[in-house]
Parts: sequence; C-alpha cells; structure tokens
Amino acid sequence: MISSKISRRYAKALFGIGREDGNYEAYGKCLEEFSRFCNENETFYRVISSKIFSTEERKNVLEAVLAKSDFPDVVKNFLRVLLDKDRIAAIADITDYYRKLTDEVSNITRARIITARPLKEDALEKLKQGLERLTGKMVIPQVSEDGSLIGGVVVQIGDMVLDGSVKAQLEGLKESLKRGEYN
Amino acid sequence: MSRFKGLFRIYRSIVLYVMCGALFWIPAGLAWAAEHGGEAAAHEGGDLKDLLARCINFALMVIILFVVIRKSSMKDFFSSRREEIRRKLDELRKGKEAAESKVRELEQKLKAFEAEKEQILEQFKAEGLAEKERIIKEAEERAEQILQQAEFTIQREMEAARARIREEIVDLATGKAEEIISKEITDKDQEHLVNEFIERVEKLH
Repeated sequence: MISSKISRRYAKALFGIGREDGNYEAYGKCLEEFSRFCNENETFYRVISSKIFSTEERKNVLEAVLAKSDFPDVVKNFLRVLLDKDRIAAIADITDYYRKLTDEVSNITRARIITARPLKEDALEKLKQGLERLTGKMVIPQVSEDGSLIGGVVVQIGDMVLDGSVKAQLEGLKESLKRGEYN
Repeated sequence: MSRFKGLFRIYRSIVLYVMCGALFWIPAGLAWAAEHGGEAAAHEGGDLKDLLARCINFALMVIILFVVIRKSSMKDFFSSRREEIRRKLDELRKGKEAAESKVRELEQKLKAFEAEKEQILEQFKAEGLAEKERIIKEAEERAEQILQQAEFTIQREMEAARARIREEIVDLATGKAEEIISKEITDKDQEHLVNEFIERVEKLH
C-alpha cells in the first residue's frame, strides 16, 4: 500500500514534468522500455535494486545502461533519483501508474482480451470497436490466449469484466442446475 | 386444710354437746331416781314438784344448748359450709359449662378439621389430577416435538442427500459436457461465440 502510494507519487511527478514540456507520451514510452528491459534482464534488475551492492556500484551499472540508451535527460535523471532514493525496485508499478495517467489524458483505455483460440483480425477489430462504443474511449487491446476457456472470449477493462467464454457458460449452467432452477 | 379444720370443729361441738347432755342428764336421772325412791311417800304432793323439776331441767337444757350452740358457732359453720358448697357448685357448674364449651369448641374444631381435611384431600386430588394431566400433556407435546424434529431431520437429510446427488450428477454432466465441447469445438464455433459476444457488447451500449 505504502509502496503503491510512493510509486504513484513518483509517476505523478514525472507525468507533471512531461505535461509541462509536452513530452509525457515520450517519457511514458521510455519508462515502458526501461521496465521491459528490467524484465528481460533479471540480473541487471537485481543488481540495481539490491542493497547488497553500494549505491555507487549500482549507479555505475545504471549509468552504463543509460549511456547506451537514447532516453531524454529528464527520464535519465528520474531513473537516477529512483536509484538514489532506493525506489528503482518499484519501476514496474511506477510505469503502470504512469501508463494510466497518460491513458486518462489521451482518452485511452486498455482492454485485456483473453480468448480460447486465436482471434481473426476482423473479429478483433469488431470487438475493439464495440468496446470503444461501450467505454467511449479509444481501446488498446492486449490479447492473450487461454485454452481453459474452451471457447469464446473474456474482456477485462479496469474493474469491468465481460465474460463470454464457454467455461463461464458451463459454470453458470452448473450453478443453475445445482440450485434446481431447471427442475 | 380448711376441710380438716371444719371436721375438727364439728367433732368438737358434738363432744361438747354430749358432755353437756351427760352433765345435766345424769343429775336429772339421779334426781328422778331419788324421787322415785320416795314415790310412795310423796306420791300425791310430789307430782307438782316433779313437773316443776322437769320444766327447770328442760329450761336449763335449752339454755345450755342455746349457749353451747352459740358458742360453738355452728351457725357460722353451716352457713360457711353452705357458701362453700354453693361456691363449689358454682365452680363445678362453671367448670362443667367451660368443659361443655370446650367440648363444643373441640367438636367444632374437629368438624372444621374434618372439613379442612376433606378440602385438602380434594385439593390434593385435584392437584394430582392436574399434575397428571400436565405431565401427560407435556409428554405428548414432547413426543410430538420429537416426531416433528425427527421428520424435520429426515426431511433435511433427504434434501441434503438429494442436493449432494444433484451436485454430483451436475458435476459429472458438466464435466462430460466440457470434455465433449472441448473436443468438438471448432474455429467456426469460436467465431460464432465471438460474434455473439460482440453483439452482446454492442447491446450493452
């Protein structure tokens, strides 16, 4: 909870700077890239987030990476501050919250679409349009597959869940039968 | 004590009276004998003297008796004796009345006791009957409750068993359905399901 609040505070700080200079989207992309880099390079992430190493050593490692990146200075400085304040481990949370802030400003919503089988392009497009009409925002779909759904699709936007899977229908049928609704 | 004193006084009076009688009757007898000795001589002129002596003798005896009786307070004795007897009779009468009253009271008490006894017995009988009825009623109610509870338990157990069986059947049926659908579902079915979902999403709008 505290960590989440601190992550929001840092995200808001960078977002504020980005809004002022008009580069909030670019900063967001840089954060996304850095966060993805941390995910892909676990050793690097463990080194910069672990207190086993001295701050100086961790700074050197970070600087080595930043030197090879084309991130704006604002983002580089932001990452250095996170390291100085021992908050670099929260980079994923900060990135998530920053994404939410940019999405709000850009009227974007992200829809997590889970499908039992691969969706065809036109079906995905139709679904995206339907969700955009439902939410009134531009929808960025994040599609994933889950065979346990048997068939159909599940969409999650924020706290809203729309379940059109065969699994959910079978569960509903099962509960109805158990309650004796079909007697 | 007073009773002995009274008897003693009576005894004393009688002795005195006898002694006085003897004192005066003996000289009188002696005189009479002496006179009868010379009866032949003075038969004619002696009749008047004899009468006179007899009268004097009688008068003396009366006077002596009167004095003796007065002195011996026989009157007081008899009057006190009468009073005592009257008082005793009164006391006895009062005692008799009190005893009769006591008897009547006791009889009334006995009657009241008998009535009370009857009443208590009746009350006990009534209470006994009421208690018996209450116990029987309670037992009947308890039996009824036990029966109801047993019926309820049976009903509940049957419902639970029915629910368990239904759940097992439903689990088996849905498991089998899931298995069949998983095997049989095609891309076309998936497309159909997605289209249905899109229609539902559009209807939500």
